[in-house]
Amino acid sequence: MTQPIEKIETPKGERFIIPIGPQHPALKEPGHFEFTVDGETVKDATVRLGYVHRGIEKATESRNYIQNLYLLERICGICSHTHAMTYSLGVEKLAGVEAPPRAQAIRVIVAELERIHSHMLWLGVAAHEAGFDTLFMYSWRDRETVMDLLELLSGNRVNYSANVLGGVKFDITPEQAGDVLKGLDFLEGRNRHYLDVVSNDALLLGRIRGVGVMTQADAERLGAIGPTARASGVALDVRIDAPYIAYKDFQPALITETAGDLEARFKVRVREIEESIRLIRLLLEHLPEGELVARMPRRIPAGEAISRVEAPRGEAFYFIKSNGTDTPARVKVRTPTIFNMATVLSLAKGLQLADMPMILVGIDPCFSCNDRMVTVREAERAETWTWNELREHGIKVYQR
Amino acid sequence: MTSIIELLLFPSGLFVLALGLAYEWVDRKLLAQMQNRIGPRWFQPFADLIKLLAKEEIVPEGVNRVLFLGLPVVALAGALTAALYVPLLGLAPAYSFPGDLIVTVYLLSLLTLCMGLAGANTLDRFSLIGATRTLTQLFSYEAPFMLALLAPALVAGTWQISGIVAHADGQWMLLTQPLGFIVAIIGLMGKLEMPPFDAPEAETEIVAGALTEYSGRGYALFRLGKNVELVVGLTLVAAFYLGGVLNPIDFVLKTGGLLLVMVGVHAVMTRMRIEQTVGLWWRYGALLVLVQILIQLVWKVAAA
Repeated sequence: MTQPIEKIETPKGERFIIPIGPQHPALKEPGHFEFTVDGETVKDATVRLGYVHRGIEKATESRNYIQNLYLLERICGICSHTHAMTYSLGVEKLAGVEAPPRAQAIRVIVAELERIHSHMLWLGVAAHEAGFDTLFMYSWRDRETVMDLLELLSGNRVNYSANVLGGVKFDITPEQAGDVLKGLDFLEGRNRHYLDVVSNDALLLGRIRGVGVMTQADAERLGAIGPTARASGVALDVRIDAPYIAYKDFQPALITETAGDLEARFKVRVREIEESIRLIRLLLEHLPEGELVARMPRRIPAGEAISRVEAPRGEAFYFIKSNGTDTPARVKVRTPTIFNMATVLSLAKGLQLADMPMILVGIDPCFSCNDRMVTVREAERAETWTWNELREHGIKVYQR
Repeated sequence: MTSIIELLLFPSGLFVLALGLAYEWVDRKLLAQMQNRIGPRWFQPFADLIKLLAKEEIVPEGVNRVLFLGLPVVALAGALTAALYVPLLGLAPAYSFPGDLIVTVYLLSLLTLCMGLAGANTLDRFSLIGATRTLTQLFSYEAPFMLALLAPALVAGTWQISGIVAHADGQWMLLTQPLGFIVAIIGLMGKLEMPPFDAPEAETEIVAGALTEYSGRGYALFRLGKNVELVVGLTLVAAFYLGGVLNPIDFVLKTGGLLLVMVGVHAVMTRMRIEQTVGLWWRYGALLVLVQILIQLVWKVAAA
């Protein structure tokens, strides 16, 4: 009647592995994590990435510089502006053009609004992983405010398409600035409340205080970046270390926490929202007058350029190589998630299985952004098959 | 004839199933309102039930077929039987005998036991972890919850539900035994695996816990069983601690009020890890209710 029960074989003996992903309620994006558990305690962790490799870098080589702007903006659905801006900065550097001051300020305003929306999204996701759905619903409701502001400025909620090579596409009128300030006032109040929640809610603290502590030395050794590193006391922020565009004149404050646990990661991000609000207010007050776009040549002179931008999750890095035509010879994109992935695997050991989703989300992972190439897992077991062997294997497997 | 009607229509059977679905809707709607959502329409739990019943039931490989298909039925039957012994709608229980309180509490635990077994029966890793957590949680809240229900029984001097209800009539034991009430209502939340005690079915960790492999009918029956358990549990706590349930309006008001409190607690809390849950129950829950019973006994002896 039933099939004979097959013995479950784990790859290496007696391990009990909990798989999370590529399809799992904890992850809305595909990544595969295997947690070896002993009861509830995690003993080992491995990761496999690459489920959403899209070949974007290769695709850039068959499009011209302007088309690439739209392609690269779609690398990430959260920090879309970051990618378009980093790319524009690189191309502008190659062409020897600098965006006009007003355009620079508008770029920063959009980037900081984007940081607010990204961090609020993260707050909701992290709360959901902890099983605190009310905080999830509330923070996402309030996040609508900043989404509306972005729509007000750009007409779009996700891919704002603010950048053009050499400047920005839209201006901010005084009326719009007033609306943005009004929205920011609301957000500031809500944000203060969320800081209170993540610092004082006893049950939430039971899940995040002292959990997944990463020391500053560990953070540096594992190469953590962005808010994840800053929560461990690493003073690392591209906006401050290597200021670009309007950040040169409008310095953000460096937000760090020393504890290095999940609570610190919550606090760093919530406090960064506060700092972003301050920065946007300052910029709107001192918005420079002038042009929006500088003139760009169609063919970009041959050469190589590197541009770095502090994305909401950490440093975004672009390397652009031009061969003097209107098409780039190479665009290399490096997103922050990949650098923080090692911290997940290192922190996981010794913690409870219940902490895993939060540790994972604690770095604010963005899988489709970081998937650049596929690695072969467990290479010692790898063997090469011909097409026919593969075909026969397939027939055998699916015959029953 | 009467007993068949009692079993299949009222108070057990269809009536309590309908009541369970209604309470599920209230639970979901209240939670949604508290979370700034709209929430489901009134017939949504019923529609979910129909959908699940109509779906194909997949029996995974490597399970004991009889257990897999039988456990949901046993679980629902246990909950429905428990409904026979409680004063639903403020009416006298359909059946009653000395000591039926113990039987009712046992029948309510049957559902949790069945869920644990159902999880352990499958080869799925999420189910196995979920089953372990379900049973761990059962052992942590069961004793304090039981003691919390026994405290009113001690006052009434009988272990027969109708007797306790008659004694509690108009007497709010919530005021005289606040500790027992707190433990009882939190115990009920643990029993129903409501957040913050939802570690056994924590979706972000182990998908759906013990019931991950269930689909279609089996899942529908487990859910129904849980709804019935919600009604029975609310009735017990309301009858014991909130001055008995006298008539249908009284019943709806008191159980509804209890549900509101439970949903409120649910809304403001983060999920606890399983070891936090166990710690809470044995460190505080059991202690509180033991103190309560001790006070009770001393009072009784002193008064006598």
